[in-house]
Parts: sequence; structure tokens; C-alpha cells
Amino acid sequence: MKATTRLRQLIAAPEILVAPGAYDGITARLIEHAGFSALYMTGAGTSASFGLPDYGLLTMTEMVGNAAKITAAASSLPLIADGDTGYGTELNVVRTVQEHERAGTAGIHIEDQVSPKRCGHLDGKELVSTEEFLAKIRAAVATRRDPDFLIIARTDARSVAGFDEAIRRANGAMEAGADLAFVESPQTLEEVAMVPQRVRGPCLLNVVWGGKTPQVDLREAQIMGYKIAILPGMLLKTVYGACDAALAALKETHRHPTPLFDGNVRDGFRRFGADEWDALRTRFRDPPPTAAE
Amino acid sequence: MARPTTILKTILGRREATILPGAANGLFARIIEDIGYQAVYVTGAGVANMYLGAPDIGLTTLTEIAGHVAAIADAVALPLLVDADTGFGNPVNMVRTVKVLERAGAAGLQIEDQVFPKKCGHFDGKEVVPLEEMLAKIKAAVDTRRDGDLQIVARTDARAILGLQAAIDRASAMIEAGADVTFVEAPTSADELAQIARALSVPQVANIVFGGRTPELGQQKFAELGFGCVLYANAALQAALKASHDVLAALKREGSLASVADRLAGFDIRQQTVAKPKYDELERRYR
Repeated sequence: MKATTRLRQLIAAPEILVAPGAYDGITARLIEHAGFSALYMTGAGTSASFGLPDYGLLTMTEMVGNAAKITAAASSLPLIADGDTGYGTELNVVRTVQEHERAGTAGIHIEDQVSPKRCGHLDGKELVSTEEFLAKIRAAVATRRDPDFLIIARTDARSVAGFDEAIRRANGAMEAGADLAFVESPQTLEEVAMVPQRVRGPCLLNVVWGGKTPQVDLREAQIMGYKIAILPGMLLKTVYGACDAALAALKETHRHPTPLFDGNVRDGFRRFGADEWDALRTRFRDPPPTAAE
Repeated sequence: MARPTTILKTILGRREATILPGAANGLFARIIEDIGYQAVYVTGAGVANMYLGAPDIGLTTLTEIAGHVAAIADAVALPLLVDADTGFGNPVNMVRTVKVLERAGAAGLQIEDQVFPKKCGHFDGKEVVPLEEMLAKIKAAVDTRRDGDLQIVARTDARAILGLQAAIDRASAMIEAGADVTFVEAPTSADELAQIARALSVPQVANIVFGGRTPELGQQKFAELGFGCVLYANAALQAALKASHDVLAALKREGSLASVADRLAGFDIRQQTVAKPKYDELERRYR
């Protein structure tokens, strides 16, 4: 089954779809091994993997290249990717959708921030007009070749123009053909609960540690009516912490600290398909026995 | 041997209206080098047209332009003046754009004051950013270059929107912000070109687009006015486009190349252009 169709099925199921964030082949494989049904490519994490902050510095080519790496590494799972603003106008959105479909991504979210996202921490976020946002959603919907490719409309209006404006934009995007709405950073539990009630269509919840949205038990989010929960930064922040601790321990003890993954070299490779590749080492050496018999 | 950045700086500083033909790929750059030009202009419009088969409306990414620049820099020894559009975003993006394109092998970067994503300078419906934002981009570019001779060519597209005087005023401010060269895009008469060259203290760039808005005065006249270089960004592309169209149409119509044989480069010229003898020599040397 196509990844896009699988993603549609998962969203149609009664259970909320939990998609942890990956930013490379390692995190993608670990999410797959842990038994999740889908994964999410974080733009912030992808930027971080280039050693850069999430300031809109990476190009569409680099983002899609990372998505292709992730879909190859975790090929059994559908990938939802951060499509940022579509990297320009609705014309750039056209190219972004084309390239993501070719990379094997099952769906992307397109947001209504000004492109490129400015130094957000200095100036605050800036929004494009509703008309421009809806043009991008319409362009994305019209461009996809696979009708199951998921178009998620993200609005950043909550912290700039208020909750009502965010809901208005989300509903406008749903009418323009978006499959799902992603209202970024609701600021109270009441707002979190209100999003699925006021948006006319399925909703995505962004679960960020240390962000503007309070933490929610994902079972409660399901009861509220959310269809997808993404956790973009969970593994990235885990990696920072684990690496910081290991590096500090090395400085302090002058010995290889006991890693959180306490396995030997072989065990490490097995996490990345060593057994499957070993089977291929011998499989093609001899002609298949059945052909002549 | 002088660095490509220093060579380009010298070429522009001579104010001899040196012609820089545009290349969108290594093959065109090789032709430009073989004919004896002194530098190559890496054309963003050409890359959009030839790589994507799309118009010059800001669809190409920095990553893609950098890939083309690196390939062209490997193919020729000439300095490359690279079309860096708007810097692909805001002043913070400009920092990364300069790092990436300098590393790819650019000797000069042309940056412009259009709204991101940009449009071809000879199209209608262009918009420009506020001057302060453009000056911030120039400062970012100047601060970021590792090689002080990397030429920052600041282009303004304001002529078509705000008028000639406003465009000249913008260019003056860009010089104060640190631009090495300025480029007032799409003046529409010989008189406007002369005014630009008189009013601005640094070498100027003229851009001759076949079928575009700026009159083709000829190299001698541009040199008399003191222009640093004259871009013929897509002359090679337009020549190849017409020849390809004519040859393929004849082939379809007649089922053979017989009637258009004189329009095709021979096998030997083709191999010479891509430096096959040089590669043959390398093969012998390392065998």
C-alpha cells in the first residue's frame, strides 16, 4: 500500500495518530523500531542537524533531501514533513509539493508565516494575508499528483492576531481544500480543547516541550478530537541532553562513559538492518533453485 | 597566481566595459573560456530556464545555484560573477548565501533589492524591498565574505518602479553600505545609461537582454561611459534555443538532419569543448 493511503487510513482510525519527530536516518529508524505507525520530519531538527537554528536558512532542496533520507531509512512508515511556508509564494509551493511527492513524503504542512521566517525571537512572527495563505493551500492541493498526499494547513496566527483569527484562518484553509488543520501554539488547555470543536475538519496537535502550549496527555487529546499528534523535538532534545552528559563525563573521567545504549559494536549495527543486509550477502550467489525444476 | 576574486576586481576596476557572457552550465562556460573572454556571468535566469525548464521567478533554491556554480568553477579557470538573486531571503539568509556561494567558487556576487522570491529584471510586476533592508543585506554580505576581494555587486530594480533618480539614489546608498560595484537594472535609453555612469562613483554594470528594455550601445560606447562590465546573460542560451528548435523541427519534418547539417557542431568540436584531450592526457598520466 502507498504510504499516502496508509496515512489516510491511520487518520480515519478512531485512535489518535502519534508521529514522533525525526531529523535523520538514525531517529527515523528508531521511531520505526519502537513501533510507531508514522513519523514526522521536523524542520527545526533538520536545521539543527546542519548546525543551524530554525530561522528559515535551509533551502527547499535541503529539506526535501532530508525527507528523502528519512523515507528511505524508515520505508515502512508514512512521513509527514514540515513544509514551512512552501519557501516563497504559491509558485514555490507548487515546486515544494512536487519535490516532496517525489521524495516519498506522505504529507506536508504549509504555514502562513512570512517567507522566509524571520528572526522570530527578535521581531515576533509575521503573517502573510489570508488571501496569500489560501492561495498557497489551493496551489498545494492542485499540484499533488497523488490525491492521498496530505495537505495540512498550519496557521501561526494565534500569537500574532489572536485565537479567533487562527480559527478563522484554519477554517478558510479547510474550505480551500486542506485535509487537516494545524493551529500552532494554543496557549491554554481551554484553547487546546477548543480547536477541534471550532475547526470544521480534522486537526493536528503540535506537542512541544517548553513551548507556548501546555502539556497534554495524548489520550486526552484523542478525546478532545485530535486526529494527529506530532512531537517534533522530543528525540532532538533527548539527543542534546544525552550528548551533553556523555561529553561532560568524558572530560571529567578521561574514560569512555557508559553510554545510554549499552551494547557492543555488532548490537549497534543490528539497529540499522545488519541482519537483513547480511542475508543479502549470500542470497544472490547461486541461481534460484526452482527455475528449471 | 592572482585569485579569481582579485582578477574580477581588476577587470571591473578598469572600466573598459568588459563583456561577460552568461553561462548556465559548464558547457557554456567552456565555450566562453575557449573564445577568450575574461570572466563568466553565472545567470540565474539561465539556470531556471535550462535546469528547470521554468521562467526566472525565484523557483531555484540556493542549494541548486551553488551546485551549478561549483560545477562551472570546476569546468573553467575564469572568475565567476554569480547571480545571487535577493540573497534568497532576508539579511540573515544573505549570510548563508555568501558563505555557500563563496565556498562554491564565486568571485563576485550580484545581489538585488527585489522582494523575495524575485522576478526577472525585464519582467513586469517587480517589487522592491525598503532601502534599509537592502542596505542590511549588503552589510551582511560584506561582513560575511572571507576574501575581501569577493566582489559585491549591488543591483537595484527600482528604475521600473520608482523611476531613474530613485534608483540612482538607492545605488549611492548601496555604495556607502559597502557595495564594490552597482548595477541599476533596466534603464531604457542611452541618456539614462550615461546619467547612471556619471552619478555613481564605483564601476557600473550594464545588462543587455536581447529583446529586453536596455538599448545595446555597443562595447565601445559603454567603455566611454566608464561601465565596468556589460552582461550578455543569455545570448548563448538564446542562440542554443533557436538552433535546437530549428534543428529538431527539421528532423521531425524531414526525418533526417541532412538539411540542417551546417547548424550542428561536429563531433570533434564537441569533444574539444568539453576538454576531452585534457582528460585523455590525465588518463595517460595516472595509468
